[in-house]
Amino acid sequence: MSKEEKGSITMWEKLGNIDYRWLYALSLVLMIIPILNPLGLPTIVSEPTKGFYNAIVDLPPGSVVAVSFQGSLALLDEQEAQFIATWKILFQHEMKVIFYSPESDGEIILNDHLGKIVKPEDYGRVYGVDYVRLGYAPLGEPGEAAFSTNIRGVFPTDIHGTALDQIPMMKDINDHTGIDLVIFQHTACTSVEWPIRQWVVPYNMKCITMTLGCCGPMAAPYYPKQILGFLSGSGMGTELEVLSGNPGPGAVMSDAKNFGVLGLLLFLVLGNLSYLGKRFGGKE
Amino acid sequence: MNFWEILGAWVGAFFVISVMTMLWKDNPYFRFGQQAIIGGTIAHYVLFNMKNVINMALIPISKGHVILIVPFILGLLMYTRLFRDYAWISKYPTSVLVGVGIGVMIAGTLRGQIIDQIKATVVDIFTAGTAYDALNGVIIAVGTVTAITFWIFTREHTGALGASAKIGRIFLMVSLGANWAGEEVWYLTQMIGRLIFLIEVFIKGTLLGIA
Amino acid sequence: MSFTRRELPTIILTACGVLMLLAFFTPFVAFTTIKGTLTAWTIVISATSTWLGFAYMSYAQYRMLQRNPVLTQKIYFVTPFAFFLLFLVVGVSFPGDVSSPQYLWLLSSIYQQVGATVYAVMFFTLASSAYRTFTVASTEAVALLLGGTIYMLRQIPLFPAFAPWLVPLGEWILLVPNVGGGRGAVICAALAALVVGIRTLWGREITMVEV
Repeated sequence: MSKEEKGSITMWEKLGNIDYRWLYALSLVLMIIPILNPLGLPTIVSEPTKGFYNAIVDLPPGSVVAVSFQGSLALLDEQEAQFIATWKILFQHEMKVIFYSPESDGEIILNDHLGKIVKPEDYGRVYGVDYVRLGYAPLGEPGEAAFSTNIRGVFPTDIHGTALDQIPMMKDINDHTGIDLVIFQHTACTSVEWPIRQWVVPYNMKCITMTLGCCGPMAAPYYPKQILGFLSGSGMGTELEVLSGNPGPGAVMSDAKNFGVLGLLLFLVLGNLSYLGKRFGGKE
Repeated sequence: MNFWEILGAWVGAFFVISVMTMLWKDNPYFRFGQQAIIGGTIAHYVLFNMKNVINMALIPISKGHVILIVPFILGLLMYTRLFRDYAWISKYPTSVLVGVGIGVMIAGTLRGQIIDQIKATVVDIFTAGTAYDALNGVIIAVGTVTAITFWIFTREHTGALGASAKIGRIFLMVSLGANWAGEEVWYLTQMIGRLIFLIEVFIKGTLLGIA
Repeated sequence: MSFTRRELPTIILTACGVLMLLAFFTPFVAFTTIKGTLTAWTIVISATSTWLGFAYMSYAQYRMLQRNPVLTQKIYFVTPFAFFLLFLVVGVSFPGDVSSPQYLWLLSSIYQQVGATVYAVMFFTLASSAYRTFTVASTEAVALLLGGTIYMLRQIPLFPAFAPWLVPLGEWILLVPNVGGGRGAVICAALAALVVGIRTLWGREITMVEV
């Protein structure tokens, strides 16, 4: 083997054995640049986002929307844009909203969102008449089935301890028959099928979902026949902000992603160059 | 920023950096953060679920809904799992949970995930408005059928079945690639969120005093 | 003794599952009422058994300390209990309980920061594994790489700004080949879940209930 052949093979191997920490450092630097100096690039809206938006705005004002909110504090960076844009759309279009949380964090997030960021009162919405918060219960899939069958069996009172019979909005609503649309927000890909099995199949209920970025491809097989639209990650949350004309936290996140992925792409390229070089360079 | 906001920024920054140090190598600061969140998370769920037990069981029982004693006692029986000689008693509440879970799952699975999915795959081709949509419908149908053949493990993947399984594998790889991409962008967003916290809240807000 | 330990739990499991199915497949209101009651009971059972998490955490920490009784491990042993007590005490001591500003401060400074950062560092873990494994070694690997990369680039505004064709192509990957592969996986997973579910209701599959 000649000295040149030894050198070229060594170079391909070096390309494939770069210390990961260089990747980490490069990616961190690239992520920080747009945080300090935003680019402000446009966002293009996708079909599932349009389906999500249209499912809400096509309802007549006064329609009842149930929001199953599994929000997680640890995942706010990824999903907050979706939440805030959705709450604004619901209140702007005068929907009657029932909020309930299968996860404990959901209530804490709603306290913050509905108490400070998207105040329903700013849209002329009155608690108990136009929206109600039922609180948290560890529902799981059987719990969703219980809710759709008998709301009072799961939530006898709202978060303030008021019996549902004493809340004007909930007087005639105790199961799926009083609900026009279900918005299912989940933080785990294993619960993508829950609304299909517990709302769409038994009651032919209109359903849209908010998911994490990795769960969007898992929700796609159910779109648009079983779920009318879905949001997947902060990117689609930003799209919803753009579509509905409600700027929010998504724009900052989208902008900052621009350079962050370049480090990953560079290493994908280097990894493949190393593989191809070793394969066609005569090594092994 | 008041005292608690400043302290919160310092504590938050400590924990963010302690978890990020695991990228360098496993170290005591990362372990400390990891152990802290384990304890905190369990306490968080205990607090919320205790409230639910009170609201959904104990208060209704005190108001006369005596039947709710049954699930309350079943829940208590779950703790027999901790004692080897009595662990078999926890099969009773587990049986209720599993039986109900399977029952609600089966009913929706048959139609929602099998019949309706097959129907959508076939109907999409014949109800397509344009040739492009019809072509996409055919591609989806091919992908669905070949992906199903990939999961047949009772016959060897040779001949026509082998060719079909190979095509199905390609469709499944595209699907996995999309999932990977979604995950990667999700984690990227999370990282950006932490960097924004460190830069805006901790460095600018707390250290430099720029609001 | 064997009847109460094996057969009776299985009978309860089967009865609960069948009642759920009857509620779905028959028009009788009685079954719907039973379904509503049993599903609500599962919530009470789950909430009541929440302290099991604390018990399992304690046992796991004790085992780790037994295996490695050095000073750092003792600190790791104490840490989750200390934070558990901190969250628990703060969560019940102040007006508003878990909605009190003090508890929310703990959540936002510790719980949220650590939780979010754990996801954030996975960006780098996934990226380094992609560096090693996402190579064009076979047709399937190319499908994985192309499907993932194009869908990822579609989500980052920088790339469609220079290459607008990424938008329709990325959406096509999400809604056509991904759906083809994904639908096949959904149908197969649903069939498997049905089989396991029916076997469990039949009493043939006992793994879910055994302790």
